[in-house]
Amino acid sequence: MTRISEHPILGETEKGRRVTFFMDGKTIEGYAGEPIAVALKAAGVMVHRYTQKAHEPRGIFCAIGRCTDCVMIVDGVPNIRTCITPLVEGMKIQTQDGVSGLEVSE
Amino acid sequence: MKRYDLIVVGAGPAGLSAAIEAARCGMRVAVFDENAKPGGQLFKQIHKFFGSKEHQAKIRGYKIGETLLAEAAEAGVEVFLNATVAGIYLDKELLVQRGEVMEHFKADTIIIATGAAENMVTFEGWTLPGVIGAGAAQTMMNLYGIKPGQKVLMLGSGNVGLVVSFQLMQAGCEVVALVDAAPRVGGYGVHAAKIARCGVPFYLAHTITKAEGSNCVTGVEIAQVDDDFAPIPGTEKHFDVDTICLAVGLSPMSQLLKMAGCNMVDDPRRGGQVPQVDENGETSIPGLFAAGDVSGIEEASSAMIQGRMSGLAAAAYLGFLSEQDKDNRLADLEIALDSLHQGMFAPGSKGKTIAKTDEGIAVSQSLLKKGYLDDADLERFINRSDQTDKKSGIHPVIECTQNIPCNPCQDACTRGCIKVGKTITALPRIDAANSCTGCGMCIASCSGQAIFLVDEDYAPGYASITLPYEFLPRPQKGELGIALSRSGRPLGYAEIIDVRSAKAYDQTTLVTIKVPVEQAMTARFYQPETNAAGQ
Ligand SMILES: Cc1cc2nc3c(=O)[nH]c(=O)nc-3n(C[C@H](O)[C@H](O)[C@H](O)COP(=O)(O)OP(=O)(O)OC[C@H]3O[C@@H](n4cnc5c(N)ncnc54)[C@H](O)[C@@H]3O)c2cc1C
Ligand code: SF4
Ligand code: SF4
Ligand code: FES
Repeated sequence: MTRISEHPILGETEKGRRVTFFMDGKTIEGYAGEPIAVALKAAGVMVHRYTQKAHEPRGIFCAIGRCTDCVMIVDGVPNIRTCITPLVEGMKIQTQDGVSGLEVSE
Repeated sequence: MKRYDLIVVGAGPAGLSAAIEAARCGMRVAVFDENAKPGGQLFKQIHKFFGSKEHQAKIRGYKIGETLLAEAAEAGVEVFLNATVAGIYLDKELLVQRGEVMEHFKADTIIIATGAAENMVTFEGWTLPGVIGAGAAQTMMNLYGIKPGQKVLMLGSGNVGLVVSFQLMQAGCEVVALVDAAPRVGGYGVHAAKIARCGVPFYLAHTITKAEGSNCVTGVEIAQVDDDFAPIPGTEKHFDVDTICLAVGLSPMSQLLKMAGCNMVDDPRRGGQVPQVDENGETSIPGLFAAGDVSGIEEASSAMIQGRMSGLAAAAYLGFLSEQDKDNRLADLEIALDSLHQGMFAPGSKGKTIAKTDEGIAVSQSLLKKGYLDDADLERFINRSDQTDKKSGIHPVIECTQNIPCNPCQDACTRGCIKVGKTITALPRIDAANSCTGCGMCIASCSGQAIFLVDEDYAPGYASITLPYEFLPRPQKGELGIALSRSGRPLGYAEIIDVRSAKAYDQTTLVTIKVPVEQAMTARFYQPETNAAGQ
C-alpha cells in the first residue's frame, strides 16, 4: 500500500471525497483536493512526461512546484504542475510527450 | 496600489515570527507565500525540536507552526497564500503573482524570509522517476499521507537526511542504506543513532554511481570514494530500491535580495550567496531586512528569533517602537540566539574536525562513521563513575555525547536527576544523588530519543529497559519480539512488560522490554517478530 492509512505521529490523514478521474484513458480513483501527483502516485504511476528531445521519462522530483518535472496535460492544457494542482472529479490527465499528449493505444 | 507598513515575503517560521512582532507593535503587516499552506518547512517536521524552552524545544515542528499561525491571526497579520513575489523594485515596491494576476504592492519596510532551496547532485540516471529530493519525500508522506516509495536509499547524512530517513521508516518505508560522500556523519549523532538502531547501514565515504532502471528507478549502485571524492573501481555495491532520496544540503533563496540591489556576499558557512546584514538582519538597503534560512542556513529555532529581531527592528525603523524599547527587547533575543550558536554544530564550527567535547572527552568516532556508540565510547561517556547510578533499581542512561544546543531532558526531570546546566550545549549529566521514579518524562522529552531507563534488578537474571517508540503497530504488553543492539543487530528475544502512552509524552510511546541482564547496556531497540521474519 502506498497510502499511509495510519501514522504513528500524525494519526489518520484527512482526505477529501473519493472521486474518479482519467489517466491516458484509464479510470483511476483519488481524493478530491489532493495534488494530482499524489493520486497518481497512489495508483502506481511513476512517469508523468517524456522530454522533448531525448524522450527521457520524468516524474515527481521536488513535489513543491519548483522543478517542473511533474508537468502533464490536464484537461487539454499542457505543462500543468501536477504536484501542486488539486485533483477535481472527472479530470482528464495525459502523460505529456514533449509538449503534446502521449499516443496511447486503448 | 495597496500599501502596508511592512511586507514579509515567506510565511515560514522566520517570516511569521517577524510579522507577529511587527503587528504587535501596531504595524499593518502583510505576508506573502507562494504555497497554498503557510508555515514553510515547519509543517513537514513531525519530530520534537531541539533547543531549550524559549526555543520551543521538545515541541514537534508542525505544532510550532500551528501556534505561530494562531498568533499571527490574533495580531492582525494578513497572510496571502498562493502569492509569489516575483520582483522587488526601488522604493520598496513588490510585484506579486496571484494565480494569473500580477499585482503591485508598496511597503515602507520589507522583510525577506524566503528560506532555502534544496541542492542537487548528478549521477548516471539521476533524472529517472523515483529519484526525489528529501523535501519531496517529506511533502508526500507528512502533508499528503503517501509513501514516497517502498524501498529507499538516502543520500546525505546531515540532519535533513537523518531526520527524513527516520520519518520514512515512520511512514512505513524501508530505508536500505544511508550514504554520504563525506567521511563522517554530518548531522547530530542522536539523530544518526535513532536510525542505526533500526538496522539502517551507514556508508560514509561512498557515493551513488548510478540509478538503475529504464522508465523508473529499480535499483541503485554505490561505490566508495577516495580523498578526492572519486569512486574507487571495484568497490561498487548494488541495492534493489524503487526510490533514491537526495538530502545534499540547502542553499539560501536570496534572488529577491539580489534583485532589490542589496550587497551580497558568498559565504560557504552560511550556505552560499547571502545578503550582507547587520545583527538585526538589516541589509545594505535601509528598511529592507532578511531573516531565516535566506540569510544563512540554520534551524527553525534560530529562524524564529532572527524573524522576531528583524520585526522589531522594522518597527523601530518606522517609529512604531522607541529605540530604547527596541534595544531592551533585542538584547534578550540576542542572548537566546547566541545560546543556539554554541557547541559542535555552531555556524562557526562548520567544516572543522572536532576531536573532543567541551568537557574534554574524546568524541565517538563510531558514531561519526557508523551512527552508533561502540563499547569504548560507553566507557568514556556512560560508564564513568559520575554517570552511573550505583543504587539498585531503575535509573536513566543518557546516550547524548555531542555538544548540541538542547536541554529539555533537564526540565523534564522534576526530581533533578538530569543536569545540563546554564550552557545548553553542555552534555547532560546524571545526578545520582537524586533518585529516579521511572516516570519516563525524560525519555518522552528527549528530542534525540537518547534516554533510556534501565533496571538491572528487574528480576533475577533479567533487566528491564524502557525506550522511546514512535512506530506502528504499537507493541502490546506480553508480546514477544526481538531486542536489537545500537547497530540494529538482533540480540535475542525480548518480552514487552509495559507499554505507556500519555498526553504529556506527546505521541512517543514508552515501551519496556525484559531482556537477560547481560543485555542491560546493549539492547536499545525493539522489533516485533513479524517484521524480523520479513527482513
Ligand atoms: C528535514 C528537516 C529537519 C529539520 N529539523 C529541524 C529541527 O529539528 N529544529 C529546527 O530548529 N529546525 C529544523 N529544520 C530547519 C528548519 O525547518 C528551517 O531552518 C526553517 O524552516 C527556516 O525557516 P525560514 O522561515 O527561514 O524558511 P522556510 O521555512 O523555508 O519558509 C520560507 C517560505 O517562503 C516562501 N517563499 C519563498 N520564496 C517566495 C517568493 N518569492 N514569494 C512568496 N513566498 C516565497 C516559501 O514557500 C516558504 O513557505 C529542519 C529542516 C529540514 C528540511
Ligand atoms: S524517569 Fe522521571 S524521575 Fe527518572 S530521570 Fe527520567 S524524568 Fe527523572
Ligand atoms: S539527552 Fe537532553 S540534550 Fe541530549 S538530545 Fe536528549 S533532551 Fe537533548
Ligand atoms: S515535482 Fe517539481 S514541480 Fe512538481
